[in-house]
Amino acid sequence: MKLTRRTAIAIAVTAALTPAAAFAEETVKIGYQLPLTGNTAQYGQDFKDAAEIALTKFNASGALPVPVEIIYEDSRSDAKEGVTIARKFVDDDGIVGVLGDFTSTVSMAAAQVYKKAGMAQLSQTASHPDFAKISKWQFRNITTQDQEGSVNAQWMLDQGIKKVAVIAEQTDWGQSVVKGFVEPFEAAGGEIVYTEFFNRGLADFRPIITKLENNTPDAVYTGFFYEDGGQFLKQMKQLDAGIPVYSTSAAYNDKLIELAGDASEGLFLTATFLPTRMDANVQEFVGEWSKTHDAAPGQFPAQAYDAVNIMLSAVVKAYPEITRESLRDALAETTDFPGVTGNTSFDENGEPLKELTKASVSNGMFVEVQ
Amino acid sequence: MSKSRLIKTGLVLAAFAVVPAVLVGFDKGYYYQIATLAAIFMLLAASLHLVTGVAGLLQLGHAAFYGVGAYVAAILGADHGVGFTVGLPLAGLSAAAIAFLVALPTMRLMSIYFAVATLAIGQMLYLVFLNWVDLTNGPNGVMLFSGINLFGIEIESDLGIYYVVAAVVAVSILVLNRLSHSYYGNALRSLREDDQCASAMGINVTVMKIQAFVISSFFAGIAGALWAYTTGYISPNDFHFSQSILILTMVVVGGLGSLPGVLIGALLLILLPEALRSVGDIRNIIVGLVMFGSILFLPKGLFGEVSALNFARRLLGANWSNDEGQKGIGWK
Amino acid sequence: MLDPYILQQLAIGLSLGMIYALMAIGFTLIFGVLNVVNFAHGEIYTIGAFAGLMVISVFGPPLLVVLFIALATGALAGFGLERLAFRPFRRFSDEASLKSRAMREATLMSSLAMSIIAREAMEMIFGSQFQSVDLAYLINKPIGIGPITIVNGDLIIFGITVVMLGGLQWLLKKSPVGLSIRAVSNNALGAKYCGINTDRTIIITFVIGSAMGALAGILVGLYYGAIFPSMGFTPGIKAFVAMVMGGLSSIPGAVISAIILGLSESLSTSFMSSVWSDMVAYAFLLLTLIFFPQGLFGARRERV
Repeated sequence: MKLTRRTAIAIAVTAALTPAAAFAEETVKIGYQLPLTGNTAQYGQDFKDAAEIALTKFNASGALPVPVEIIYEDSRSDAKEGVTIARKFVDDDGIVGVLGDFTSTVSMAAAQVYKKAGMAQLSQTASHPDFAKISKWQFRNITTQDQEGSVNAQWMLDQGIKKVAVIAEQTDWGQSVVKGFVEPFEAAGGEIVYTEFFNRGLADFRPIITKLENNTPDAVYTGFFYEDGGQFLKQMKQLDAGIPVYSTSAAYNDKLIELAGDASEGLFLTATFLPTRMDANVQEFVGEWSKTHDAAPGQFPAQAYDAVNIMLSAVVKAYPEITRESLRDALAETTDFPGVTGNTSFDENGEPLKELTKASVSNGMFVEVQ
Repeated sequence: MSKSRLIKTGLVLAAFAVVPAVLVGFDKGYYYQIATLAAIFMLLAASLHLVTGVAGLLQLGHAAFYGVGAYVAAILGADHGVGFTVGLPLAGLSAAAIAFLVALPTMRLMSIYFAVATLAIGQMLYLVFLNWVDLTNGPNGVMLFSGINLFGIEIESDLGIYYVVAAVVAVSILVLNRLSHSYYGNALRSLREDDQCASAMGINVTVMKIQAFVISSFFAGIAGALWAYTTGYISPNDFHFSQSILILTMVVVGGLGSLPGVLIGALLLILLPEALRSVGDIRNIIVGLVMFGSILFLPKGLFGEVSALNFARRLLGANWSNDEGQKGIGWK
Repeated sequence: MLDPYILQQLAIGLSLGMIYALMAIGFTLIFGVLNVVNFAHGEIYTIGAFAGLMVISVFGPPLLVVLFIALATGALAGFGLERLAFRPFRRFSDEASLKSRAMREATLMSSLAMSIIAREAMEMIFGSQFQSVDLAYLINKPIGIGPITIVNGDLIIFGITVVMLGGLQWLLKKSPVGLSIRAVSNNALGAKYCGINTDRTIIITFVIGSAMGALAGILVGLYYGAIFPSMGFTPGIKAFVAMVMGGLSSIPGAVISAIILGLSESLSTSFMSSVWSDMVAYAFLLLTLIFFPQGLFGARRERV
């Protein structure tokens, strides 16, 4: 880490001393804006670690005669900082493409800058329904909730579940979780008996759970990240609710099981990434990750790993004539990119199309449901 | 007189010639962004200064009024096609109107009680931004496609945007300066020092406090509108309690009651985290340490009130003139 | 017979209220009784939780030992906080400085600065995610009483709150230390002239209040199984509300208000979306301030 920071500074200094040397420069530079401090730093740190793994592997592989450099900037999940960083990246003529940010709100604020300046922005997680529609420069490789919701809806109907309560966090993402699920589920004849949003970081879910039980649903569909998920599941068990819980890929993280213990047993969710999958690239990533981490990587680091690799493969495609324009076109052409979260293609809006896996927690592990 | 004019011209030159020249020289969007952001936060700090520094009312919900302005500007622009020239004053007026409504019942509260009430109001407005989905689009935020349109001319260049923001901020700060360094400002200061005494001297305490609060919120609303127009996308997180604290910190670090100090404080707290970007994760600890150090070693702020008052008097050429009879006897 | 649904919501509200009360006690002692604006109490709470967590993960001692260590850490942190953020601003003890607003705001801002430093440092050291807690230590084993479910943590927290409240009331009303605390809060200069060691009294108050804050932190952390650097913010605000509702200087008032707050929050979920439930606390705060400026249970008091 120390070394990369020092090199990053060195590069920044060099860039400042030699302005407008975009093509003469040796390295290809990619910007990555992500929260490295603040409330969401845990996600940003994971992204950075995953990106480092991808980058080290890429530079060692010799796919390009010149090395690629990623410049990380800390946005604290604050739109103010996100926009400033975006301007900073745009200024650096050496930077040809940008990854990030983590939250949709920061990504969207920064996107206004990238749209104006014409720089490709690939977010690993921004799930706001309008993000990719901002301009032709925005891409993301996280599954949209329209897709995930309809898979879950069908799955529940197949299990004979007709009455569902829906609970999601009060963020743009949570809103899209509810919308993405409710529409296909009701269209297929299901009934939504209770819809509730909660503020992220809510400590006590029990009033909600009690109310939920009172509505006697067959199952609960939830939109939460693993931390809120852990709390919710623990308190479900505490109140002995006994209602099956379905969730999205955002809850997919070993930390969820660590935090909730037994209470996580029997959680159903859709995922695009399973560290237990035997595919070579998955195992390679998990192996590298495990060298520095106790737990296996969750959904989000895998998203970041893929985002970096998609960006890098676009760099290879655009080389040697790498401009912001050519990199964007190369990104847009991405089809069936074989990542650890499955194959990714971008549609004309820059939305990814992915395959989803069904999983559940059993004996303290995520296992694939056939 | 000539000296004060020199300082005044110097400041205007700095804002409208030196800074833009430097910006053009570097030609980096990053510097434009920081300059714009610093200008917006200078206005926020200056507006909080009127109510907290001069009138002595600890206001912990300033970011919410900043948010009201931003939301009004963004929603009017996005849904009703209202442009910059109309949206900007409307944003300020809406923030002022809401401030007036909440000020009516809370203004008789004393010091810490008032602070707590503003904290509650700030949090309630934040909850409204976040949860009243039909009005504010909730956590999805509002995207504003129209930029700054000045009487039919679309201003797109970074330099143009800087000039517009700088002009609005400069005029606003000029107004705030005149307000706080005048007989009116002195009347507010007397409320801060001893409101019973001020009341005995014939100052209508409650009305004055409400005025200060409303004026301050008006300019916070203007700052919010500037943020909305320059960023093009706003969401509730931009107006969280932590932003109120950030603005309050600027006021305290700069010096309670001193407008130049407050402006320096705002500049410092915007520039410092940026300058420290390269030190990485510990930069926010350093910001905390700077804040602590400045309170400990500069209890009057970077530019204390007494020196600020002297400075302002020289600048405005408004030395106290007891000999002119009526003029010396305080605010009407 | 009441509906089991309402009963369950009441039980949850009561346990929420006890949790707020636990936090509010230490907070009220420093903020309300001593009349010192302290924004770093939430961080003391977090430090207590982290101290307990570290002891658990390294030694794994019985719960009681964990609680005592959290208590001791809190006392130490309170002492340090007073030294760093409050004492330097008591350089002048003449009447004008004691009454000056600038002085009071200085400690307000210095405690805020301390809280920023402490939180950022914890985020750097531990990361900002939820820490994994050994599940065996969690105090959330369900206990069924008829149609409703509570957990063993509710009983523990109830017991500790009662002990804390009783102990503090005794301390403040009967013991010499309590008398000097009340004297200092009433008139620091006067107390000094009467031969009370004001510095020592203030330190003692900080130590006791912070120890209680830290204990609250580890208890709530184990109750929910959620320990993370910014965990102190929300309970801090709730404790603040309870304190103001209770009338600033009254600890029993703060406890009762905390319980009212918990009950209303839990019941409000039945009528509106949970995202608005924070509104209840703020609405209470505003209504109390406007209609009962002295608090619901407050004794008459000069303007602060």
